[in-house]
Amino acid sequence: MRVFRLNVNGDDLEVAAPAHWTLLEVLRYELGLIGSKQGCDKGDCGACTVLLDGSPVLSCLRLAATAEGHAVVTIEGLMPMHKARGGDGADVVQDAFDRCGALQCGFCQPGMMLSARALLNENPKPTRGEIHDALAGNLCRCTGYTQIVQAVELCVAEAAGVEPAQPAWSADANGKKV
Amino acid sequence: MLRLPKFELEEPATLDEALALFAEHGSDAMPIAGGTDLVPNMKHRLFEPKVVVSLARIEALTGIRVTSGGELEIGAMTTLADVARSSAVQERAPVLAQAASLIAGPQLRTMGTLGGNVMLDTRCQWYNQTHFWRTSLGYCLKKDGTECHVVQGGGKCVAAASNDTAPALMTLGATLVFQGPTPPGESKANLREIAIDALWKADGIVNKHTEPGEILTAIRIPAQAAGHRGAYGKLRDRGSIDFPLFGCAVRLDVGTDEAVTGADICAVALVARPSHVKRIEDELVGQRVGSDDFASAVGRVAELAYKQCRPMDNSPGDADYRREMVPVYVRRTLHAAAQGAGPVHHV
Amino acid sequence: MAARDIHGPAPPWGDEFQVIGKPHRKIDGLAKATGHAIYADDIQLAGMLHAKTLRSPHAHALIRSIDTSQAEALPGVHAAITGKDMPVRYGVIPWTPDENALAVDKVRFIGDEVAAVAAIDEDTANAALELIEVDYEPLHAYLDPVEALERSDPLIHDTKKQTNVSKHVHLDFGEVDAGLEAADVVVEDDYSFHGSTHAPIEPHCAVAQFGADGLLTLWSSTQITHYVHRALSSVLEYPAQKIRVVQPCLGGAFGGKSDPFSLEFCVAKLAMKTGRPVKMLWTREEVFYAHRGRHPMRLHYKTGARRDGRITAIDARILIDGGSYSSFGLVTTYYAGQLLTGPYDFPAYRFDSTRVFTNKPPCGPKRGHGSVQPRFAFEVQLDEVAEKIGMDPIEIRRKNFQGSNTETVNGQRVTSNGFDQCLDKVETASDWKTRRGKLPYGQGLGVAGSMYISGTNYPVYPNKMPQAGIQLKVDRSGLVTVFTGGNDIGQGSNSVVAYLVAEELGLAVEHVRVVAADTDLCPVDLGAYSSRVTFMVGNAAIDAARKLRAQVVEAVAAAWEVAPQRVRLIGGHAIDLEDADRGIELREAFHLAEEKFDTLGSTGSYNTPTLGGDYRGGTIGASPAYSFTAHVVEAHVDTETGRITARKVWCAHDCGRALNPMLVAGQIEGSVYMGIAEALLEEHDVNRFGLHAGPSLLDYRMPLSIDTPEIEAFVVESIDPEGPYGAKEAGEGPLHSSIPALANAIHDAVGIRLRELPFTPGKVLRALREKQAPAGTESRAAERV
Ligand SMILES: Cc1cc2nc3c(=O)[nH]c(=O)nc-3n(C[C@H](O)[C@H](O)[C@H](O)COP(=O)(O)OP(=O)(O)OC[C@H]3O[C@@H](n4cnc5c(N)ncnc54)[C@H](O)[C@@H]3O)c2cc1C
Ligand code: SF4
Ligand code: FES
Ligand code: FES
Repeated sequence: MRVFRLNVNGDDLEVAAPAHWTLLEVLRYELGLIGSKQGCDKGDCGACTVLLDGSPVLSCLRLAATAEGHAVVTIEGLMPMHKARGGDGADVVQDAFDRCGALQCGFCQPGMMLSARALLNENPKPTRGEIHDALAGNLCRCTGYTQIVQAVELCVAEAAGVEPAQPAWSADANGKKV
Repeated sequence: MLRLPKFELEEPATLDEALALFAEHGSDAMPIAGGTDLVPNMKHRLFEPKVVVSLARIEALTGIRVTSGGELEIGAMTTLADVARSSAVQERAPVLAQAASLIAGPQLRTMGTLGGNVMLDTRCQWYNQTHFWRTSLGYCLKKDGTECHVVQGGGKCVAAASNDTAPALMTLGATLVFQGPTPPGESKANLREIAIDALWKADGIVNKHTEPGEILTAIRIPAQAAGHRGAYGKLRDRGSIDFPLFGCAVRLDVGTDEAVTGADICAVALVARPSHVKRIEDELVGQRVGSDDFASAVGRVAELAYKQCRPMDNSPGDADYRREMVPVYVRRTLHAAAQGAGPVHHV
Repeated sequence: MAARDIHGPAPPWGDEFQVIGKPHRKIDGLAKATGHAIYADDIQLAGMLHAKTLRSPHAHALIRSIDTSQAEALPGVHAAITGKDMPVRYGVIPWTPDENALAVDKVRFIGDEVAAVAAIDEDTANAALELIEVDYEPLHAYLDPVEALERSDPLIHDTKKQTNVSKHVHLDFGEVDAGLEAADVVVEDDYSFHGSTHAPIEPHCAVAQFGADGLLTLWSSTQITHYVHRALSSVLEYPAQKIRVVQPCLGGAFGGKSDPFSLEFCVAKLAMKTGRPVKMLWTREEVFYAHRGRHPMRLHYKTGARRDGRITAIDARILIDGGSYSSFGLVTTYYAGQLLTGPYDFPAYRFDSTRVFTNKPPCGPKRGHGSVQPRFAFEVQLDEVAEKIGMDPIEIRRKNFQGSNTETVNGQRVTSNGFDQCLDKVETASDWKTRRGKLPYGQGLGVAGSMYISGTNYPVYPNKMPQAGIQLKVDRSGLVTVFTGGNDIGQGSNSVVAYLVAEELGLAVEHVRVVAADTDLCPVDLGAYSSRVTFMVGNAAIDAARKLRAQVVEAVAAAWEVAPQRVRLIGGHAIDLEDADRGIELREAFHLAEEKFDTLGSTGSYNTPTLGGDYRGGTIGASPAYSFTAHVVEAHVDTETGRITARKVWCAHDCGRALNPMLVAGQIEGSVYMGIAEALLEEHDVNRFGLHAGPSLLDYRMPLSIDTPEIEAFVVESIDPEGPYGAKEAGEGPLHSSIPALANAIHDAVGIRLRELPFTPGKVLRALREKQAPAGTESRAAERV
């Protein structure tokens, strides 16, 4: 058993876990931060993505103890951080994903939203190509990615104060706008 | 979960401490850098070290530096993401920046290191599998077994070098700086600098010549010729994540008159060692980039590559198809290099 | 009960919908967005043990003996179980119970479950598995379905007929031979469809708890709570009243969680044995072994048509590789033939489909169960018919359009049908008329159409009870809670139920809470399969809400001393249509109703009308409504690398009415993605040893966002007379025609007909070379079926 400190979502915590535990295992099963998901446990899917010092990493491949001294942000951290900055409700990325219908089963989405959050932190006006590149380590099995990309583009458009592009379906069968 | 085997973790803050740990634990210890190769491999029970020594806290191993001689020195622990986005690397060694940018996916490039990529274990579809899977198979030569399933009846492992930066570094004539535990009684650092070409051996079980307990500390890339151009081409199924099904790195030295003065091509994801495509300078040197003659020389080089590169059933997928793609990717990558473009990749 | 009689597709209050048809958020969206939603593996109970499964390393073997004593002796191990502990067989289709929770005497594929262990943690459980000794006697393993068809020694299952055939169906409608005779053109060919799997991002997980009172609770990532409940009771030989099955938030399913699975029985049994909660979380590799994915099929089709494009007859022969167990295979074998009979009308049809067992992971229902493969073969063939008679591929599909309110050749009733509008949509959006056949070499457009069921009147186990039930409960705060047995698997069915109830009661969506998929709390629903949820649960929800609404309206009318027709529930209020000043909050209206009628609540249900052809199997594939889809795909072919890119996909889907167009679009987009993925990248197969070729999300190549085509989804609303406000399904239909449309686009781009999936670059290059080879040397596929 190793005792070490983790800084998770701004909290400095003392953790005791065996050396062979991954960060994902410690987050989920020791700290109860079950928002980080596991889809493959070996680096192939991106569901376990968390931010480490602001960059997206795969917590299933990171030995937990080696995260000491770094700032970890999980999906649970976004709303409180948004509120602390004076925001209302969920983080704009989370809200946009919800508004765009991107949260189908939702299982890939904590990882996906953190990848998106990291992208927007670094590059508030990504092109569609840059969005695809930034999400290229996160598998989603439900959405066909369309509403995910729309959600990120919605964040970009709203931050820039421009009208987001409307999806094809929004003018329905009878040509009326919904 | 796919659990890791039990081990002790050490996190030395200095290289000396790390080397002392290797001296102490010998072959029971393994270094871990980003862990993006070692952790899945340990989860698959391909490696079960008693002690895992993380190099992550050794600050001296990280960073990209241009020396006064115009040499690029990249610490082994520098992440692939940093290598890919470094303007120094992009300018001086575009092929390396391109290769690094196509490795795995964004999170893995943030975690994975250049040193870890050089030191990557070879890969094979019969080997990179869970313990249960390999038990059902009856194992193979590389680990726990006696047979090879790629070359049936063969006595040698041909698992593929699958590290994208290896061929890039080879075309650049990079050298590798290793440091080993200081032998008792000595005080001088036990340093060894070798050409990257000298690292490889044609054995898929371990495809590198290394000394016990030594750590790769830095990768040095000499200043390239004035008209240096480079590009990387990578064949894979998806636009991200996948290891190469074939990778080729190209170096072209181009004079002020646009004539080629030197060239090199290295291929990866074939057999255990990444390799140079031979006799290509005979075709390319003297040709003016962009001319018809250059184009036909490129065609001949592609044929040479086709003859010399034989993908095997070590990687998943269709080996015949991969072979067919060798000349296509070599040609496209040569043209990309000539134009100062690249990487060559389907998305 | 026949709720279908009373709703119509019209808005409940006569003029406009308040909630329906708008892109509302999902009711659980923010919980999922913030990481608060609880999935099965998020459940942590005090004292919980962790269980692991020992699996067979042999593809086919007898089990001579199993010794678990050393495992049980390992410190930290609390129990070990084998097939002997649960010898009762089960199967999701009650006629074919051929599975055991753990193998009893035999294993049938590499990965088959043999024993399970519960221990203090996963590491200990894994260590214990290594100590279990199993003595196997290996048998010949069948990896090729043709061999399994021809050979019967050894048998994979002890079938009645002593063959390896899992199911055979032969049905004949109309004069097929005469129709083919009378045709001006006949196209005949072989097609092959490979296996693929669901690979939801959430691996299967189950947690069981056994109380001192004998109550067994199972939380499981299932899409069929009710069937799991029944199966648990039967396999555990334990009364169903003492079992509660709960589906927590589900991380994707696509049909891959619609069988009862070994882990559910094992955690239950282990919890009962140890008196402690037990969890089992499958690794990704184990999910691949559980499979139940798309059946590989070898299909032989013969289609005749007149010069004017009308189809005269279709003759189909299909060999289905079922893998090692029946699963839904009986239904698959029917669906493979039964679901081809729209959106086109043809007078004669025959199909002969045979499902055989092989020693591979069992196949089952993947999105578009049973009908995606035949649809591919037929739509590619139809394209060839069009080519032969020189007709535009969209035109030939229009020409054969069956129309609405009709009956198919196999006796299925078709009500609403917006397929013609789907064709119009994709034709216009893709600029088909000016671009198809005219793009530069290497680029092309292709079209295909399809239909799918919105539920089926075949309720898996025969009974006349409702297929879907709903209960409503009213709180004095103005909150309405809906109890539904329906399984929300990410498609948003709980949200849909909330929208419907909100619409009926004039409530804001946030004032409707949904409690779902809990057998203790919710009325029975059969589960999320066959695209039945929106249609059936939706109708039941309207039924229940209408009953409640009548009480509320009556109570308000009585209090106001006006005729009930004057009272309207809207925007969270009850208002008087004739007196603009009179209005109360719904909360108060509920109080009036509670005073008048006692504690409020209502139930609603749905059952299908009598449907189906009058022949054996005629109810399988009989649906109260069918959805229709048309795709146009734009494909680019790199003729040097053989790589195909689906650049853009236009998909128009007739979902009856879009209860929430954003969710419908999400289903369309997800379906298109999945179809193109299996056409180009994904392949689920075993290698020469019978081992799964790559049971990981690295080797099983699922597209990332960069690999996914740009998708334009169009919603066509044909307003079904029996659907909830006219709605039909949207979750599975839009996958079907994406694959043949891609194949047809490749033909338009480079002139090759790909009849064998997946369309790997190697195959494309071979086909391109064959095409360039001199005429006569081209070898058309010989009979293989
Ligand atoms: C899903 C997935 C996809 C991937 N795709 C690609 C790909 O496309 N191309 C590719 O090249 N790689 C790929 N990788 C592999 C890996 O991510 C990269 O190769 C990465 O660069 C490895 O670096 P690391 O720091 O994580 O290495 P580690 O895993 O930490 O180490 C790798 C090996 O090198 C040894 N080692 C590490 N550092 C040193 C050192 N300084 N001195 C001595 N020995 C050392 C370790 O002991 C270990 O044996 C992929 C991995 C995954 C999980
Ligand atoms: S090539 Fe592959 S199968 Fe052969 S010995 Fe090496 S790892 Fe094993
Ligand atoms: S769970 Fe970490 S990448 Fe899949
Ligand atoms: S929303 Fe289900 S996997 Fe992405």
